[in-house]
Amino acid sequence: MPATVRQRPQPGQKNPDSSTHALLPFLQVQSATALSRLYQSPSSCLSIFRLLAPVERQIVMNLLWLESAMTPSTLAAWVTTEGQKLYDSSLDTLSHLHILHNYPTKLALNTTFKTSLRHAITGGGTTGSFGVPAEKDEKRLPLDVEGLDSYALERWETILHFMVSSGTGQNPQRPSPGVLYLLQRSGLMGNQHGSLQITSAGFQFLLHESHAQLWNLLLQYLHMAEERQMDLVEVLSFLFMLSTMELGREYSTENLSKTQKAMLEDLRDYGLLWQRRPTSRRFSPTRLATTLTSSSPDLPSSTGASSTGFIVLETNYRVYAYTDNPLQTAILNLFVSLKYRFPNLVVGSITRDSVKRALNNGISADQIISYLVTHAHPQMRKNNPLLPVTVQDQIRLWELEKNRLKSQEGYLYTSFASQADYEYVLNYAKQMELVLWENNAKRSFFGSIEGHANIRSFIERRSAGGSG
Amino acid sequence: MDRPSHLSVVIDLDPSRWDTLNLSLFLSHLLGFFNAHVAAKHENTLAVFGAFPAKSVMLYSSSDPIAEIPPNDANSYPPFKLVDSTVVNRIARELELIADDDLDAPVALVGALTKALCYINRLTVEANAATTSSTDQSLEPVALPDPRILIVSVSPDITSSYIPVMNSIFSAQKLKVTIDACQISGPENVFLQQATHLTGGSFIYAERQDALLQYLIMALLSPPSVRRTIAVPTQDKIDFRATCFCHKNIVDIGFVCSVCLSIFCQPVPVCSTCRTKFPIKTLQKLNSSRPPLPQSNSSRAPTPSSSSARPSTTPRPPATPPTGSDQRHLPRSVVNGHAP
Amino acid sequence: MAPPKHDDFMDMASDSDNSFDEGLQRKGKGKSKSTDKRKKDQNKRKPKDVQAYTWEASYTRSWEAVREDEAGSLQHAVEDYVARGRRKRLQDPSTAIRRTIIRHLVLVLDLSASMLDRDMRPTRFSLTLQYAREFVLEWFDQNPLGQMGVVGMRAGVGERIGSMTGNPQDVLKAISDRHKLEPSGDTSLQNAVEMARNSMNHLPTHSSREIVIIFGSLTTVDPGNIHETLEECIKSKIRISMVALAAEMKICRDLCVKTGGQFGVALNEGHFKDLLFELVPPPAQRSLSRAAGAGATTTSANLMLMGFPTRLPGASPPSLCVCHSDLKSDGFLCPRCLAKVCDVPTDCDICGLMIVSSPHLARSYHHLFPVKPYVAVESLDESSPTCCGCARPFPTVVSQTVTEGVSPIGRYRCPDCRQDFCSDCDVFIHDVLHCCPACGK
Repeated sequence: MPATVRQRPQPGQKNPDSSTHALLPFLQVQSATALSRLYQSPSSCLSIFRLLAPVERQIVMNLLWLESAMTPSTLAAWVTTEGQKLYDSSLDTLSHLHILHNYPTKLALNTTFKTSLRHAITGGGTTGSFGVPAEKDEKRLPLDVEGLDSYALERWETILHFMVSSGTGQNPQRPSPGVLYLLQRSGLMGNQHGSLQITSAGFQFLLHESHAQLWNLLLQYLHMAEERQMDLVEVLSFLFMLSTMELGREYSTENLSKTQKAMLEDLRDYGLLWQRRPTSRRFSPTRLATTLTSSSPDLPSSTGASSTGFIVLETNYRVYAYTDNPLQTAILNLFVSLKYRFPNLVVGSITRDSVKRALNNGISADQIISYLVTHAHPQMRKNNPLLPVTVQDQIRLWELEKNRLKSQEGYLYTSFASQADYEYVLNYAKQMELVLWENNAKRSFFGSIEGHANIRSFIERRSAGGSG
Repeated sequence: MDRPSHLSVVIDLDPSRWDTLNLSLFLSHLLGFFNAHVAAKHENTLAVFGAFPAKSVMLYSSSDPIAEIPPNDANSYPPFKLVDSTVVNRIARELELIADDDLDAPVALVGALTKALCYINRLTVEANAATTSSTDQSLEPVALPDPRILIVSVSPDITSSYIPVMNSIFSAQKLKVTIDACQISGPENVFLQQATHLTGGSFIYAERQDALLQYLIMALLSPPSVRRTIAVPTQDKIDFRATCFCHKNIVDIGFVCSVCLSIFCQPVPVCSTCRTKFPIKTLQKLNSSRPPLPQSNSSRAPTPSSSSARPSTTPRPPATPPTGSDQRHLPRSVVNGHAP
Repeated sequence: MAPPKHDDFMDMASDSDNSFDEGLQRKGKGKSKSTDKRKKDQNKRKPKDVQAYTWEASYTRSWEAVREDEAGSLQHAVEDYVARGRRKRLQDPSTAIRRTIIRHLVLVLDLSASMLDRDMRPTRFSLTLQYAREFVLEWFDQNPLGQMGVVGMRAGVGERIGSMTGNPQDVLKAISDRHKLEPSGDTSLQNAVEMARNSMNHLPTHSSREIVIIFGSLTTVDPGNIHETLEECIKSKIRISMVALAAEMKICRDLCVKTGGQFGVALNEGHFKDLLFELVPPPAQRSLSRAAGAGATTTSANLMLMGFPTRLPGASPPSLCVCHSDLKSDGFLCPRCLAKVCDVPTDCDICGLMIVSSPHLARSYHHLFPVKPYVAVESLDESSPTCCGCARPFPTVVSQTVTEGVSPIGRYRCPDCRQDFCSDCDVFIHDVLHCCPACGK
């Protein structure tokens, strides 16, 4: 159902509710030549194809094996009446991505994209875009899948843990300088009093699903790459190449470009790939990398519980979290006041103070609720609604409470000479809809800042007219 | 929502029929289709079943890892390569294994279809077990992918498999499986048309083998959620008339045994299936009411071969719009215009 | 149609080869059921006496049903549960038996004030409506050629709520509005049964006539002698089954036993549903005796005239249907009089021909040709390593717990084709698929 009623956001506009992938808006603003270069690699085409919405994928597939262009009306005849809107917006997205060529006069795929995607699906070509596997090294066996998983998990959680515990006085392990720089650049952490502190954007970031977090960070990385004068196409195609690689296999760095070799270090810090030594000429992608283009949150089995959900929330605001993961505990600690800790269970309750603290940190009530929903324990999922309504409402009320005072800048106009003067100016201001507050007894009113110039000149004109 | 989908493909691999057709060309098109399905989403799953004479074999399934992993090369996506090489090798091996005396046996399409259903049932059970630790049945499984079955057929109906095919269709309805069918050669398969109609799937008859991939992709690749936006050809005219058990005639008014539901084209004193004797009175009464019948029967004269002679109603993609789309607005406009 | 024949319904048919095993089957089944039930009773009654509040009941029961073994594991209890299902299936006839495929049923709902009791949550009335809806759907799913009517017992009279129809949506619509069904007054069993009986009087003899009563009251207020009604029912071969929600009453049991139906008292919500749903599968046909002779007197089997309609495509020009006088383009054409009806199966409103589509006939075939039960494989021999159905690898370790009817190595073998299946497939094949994947039977 949502597939048909879903409204697509305008290109470039970010909408977290929509299922549009976060990367697509970024790609849409790239130049046609850059995209065309990107589309030369079959693995990139395959990955971008996967990031598209289902209807867009079907349109691409319909056109993929046609040699000649189709008239738009031919395909439009297949579209149902209720799907028309979605279909049109899908075509728009595709043409913004320069996957569709010459739209709307003709329906045909970009030739480069078509050739590459065909190569990807049938195999063949000589681009080597799916990664060159390294020769088997008998002496040093590659890390097995479990090893890679735990490596990726450790890397990733180090970053998150560092963020969540900054400013709490704990001293967790510091991620590498590259990561710190990225966190700071992206505005997730800010420099305060000489030490890095998590910002409100950072708090919001923490409550996202791991898959969204990863892409969020990679997007920041891409923006940074632009500034660092790195070749964006090479950065992107390397990321896409990683996403099509096979877990548990070693690949050679031989065929990588200079930019891509430089990326190895950064991606190693994020836990996307593993190398025995920084100078090693082979690398293995981790699960974080190989699931980049899948939609599921695929942090490698992060200590069991996270994949199924672990939080039980009761109507009395009690929270039971079945976890022993310090990171999850720390994230919960953002908006729950924790009471007891057991080997596999953390108990706390949602209080006004704890929620206010979170709100002050820039987390919104909706984010808290959506975090609780995504991580709800399977037992909770039997409830309808999933979370107790009382608790949801109360969290929202606490947020409203914060918004009790609304500040607006402006000017106070006072000490009018006569009641008539006062009313005359006030009427003018009211007509312009500039009055925020008025008090007849004191003959004063408060006007918004934008209107000041108008009101001021009006008064000046009047007094000038009065005197003159 | 963008949900993962499962596709089980049943391939009719009757060697006697493939003698006249180009199997390798067909397979290359089919593999392209498999890859397109796997490409669409990382979580999409695929299973391939082969129906050979007198036996059915599972050729590939994405949940059971295969021992022989093909050597990697830099120009192909590993999962695609895995599917392609496994399916091709298994088919070649199974075709060699067929004994000569089995060659004429009817192809075990039902076996393959039921195996596909068992496999989907297994996925459903596993998905249920994964999402709900308890045995609560009322809970909707969250991770369950949309399952579909695609039957690629080259054979005509096998009348003896009518009941198992119907049973499979009803099981598919229970499991909420959509059955799609693509027929490549031979007379139109009425059972498959009924299967696709009853499960809300799509039936196409691929006239041009060299365009098979395009047929498959246009009509049969999209999961049900996408079909709400881009319609696929559906069969409008399905033959729901029954075949009588005595002469295999297609009848529109028949005589049915109340015990075993066997269908006869004329009143019989004893049911040939369950040996029930029918009362003479009924026979007399039915016989007396019969005279008008032969007339109407002969005027429609449904001969057994009529199913093949009927014009194909399959739209030829992409030239003809699917009938599904104009179903929706046509009635309304007529009602407004001129009600009879 | 031939008038109903008056003969003793316990007579055995002359030509039925199955009558003997069927008798055995029924006997065995009845016995196991009664012991089962007694066991259940013991289980259930104890907590019922102890518990103070009804809302505690479901919690008490949920863990009453499961027992840990010595090691504290629930595995055994789960296996036991599976095994019970298997044994039940083994008792089911493996050969084709006669079942009444064409059924006519009147569902009688108690709408007296006693239905407002809250001993079943939320009330007996709401629960009954809910289960009745599920029952209707399931019943039509398994008996596509059947027809159902609904009668209510309210304020001392029988009320026709829905007339005989073959369309589940019509029946559901009749019982969908709970405000129209608001319970009040007394129950009159006789009035309701008479009304149901009259609505089935005209039916041909090859179809079954059944009344299913959901009875919540402890009294019945009747205008005449209900035993005469009972005699009439026996005469017209109506089978009465009843699910009582309160307690057993002599007259209720008599009605059921003497007409060959089933009687049960629901202990709790789950049991209520079980009892009701036991009435869904088509009943084995009561065979007529050899003694009565094969002649013209036994008319239980018959040859029926049926029409297989032409389905109009959705794009055809709209026209009025004869059943609702609605203007629509899709529908089915009666092959005899070419009248247009909306839905099949139904009787043609114009010429009275029974119109079915061939899938509807096919839907009933599995009752007639069941899959043979699979045999539990006891020891590891040279069998294939994966399930023949779903290709799941079999467990290689032998389970220690030995239960009758359960394979210690999780393999179940088809007696015909000697292929092995896992327990999930075993259940799926017998309950849903009704067709062995390996041999296609």
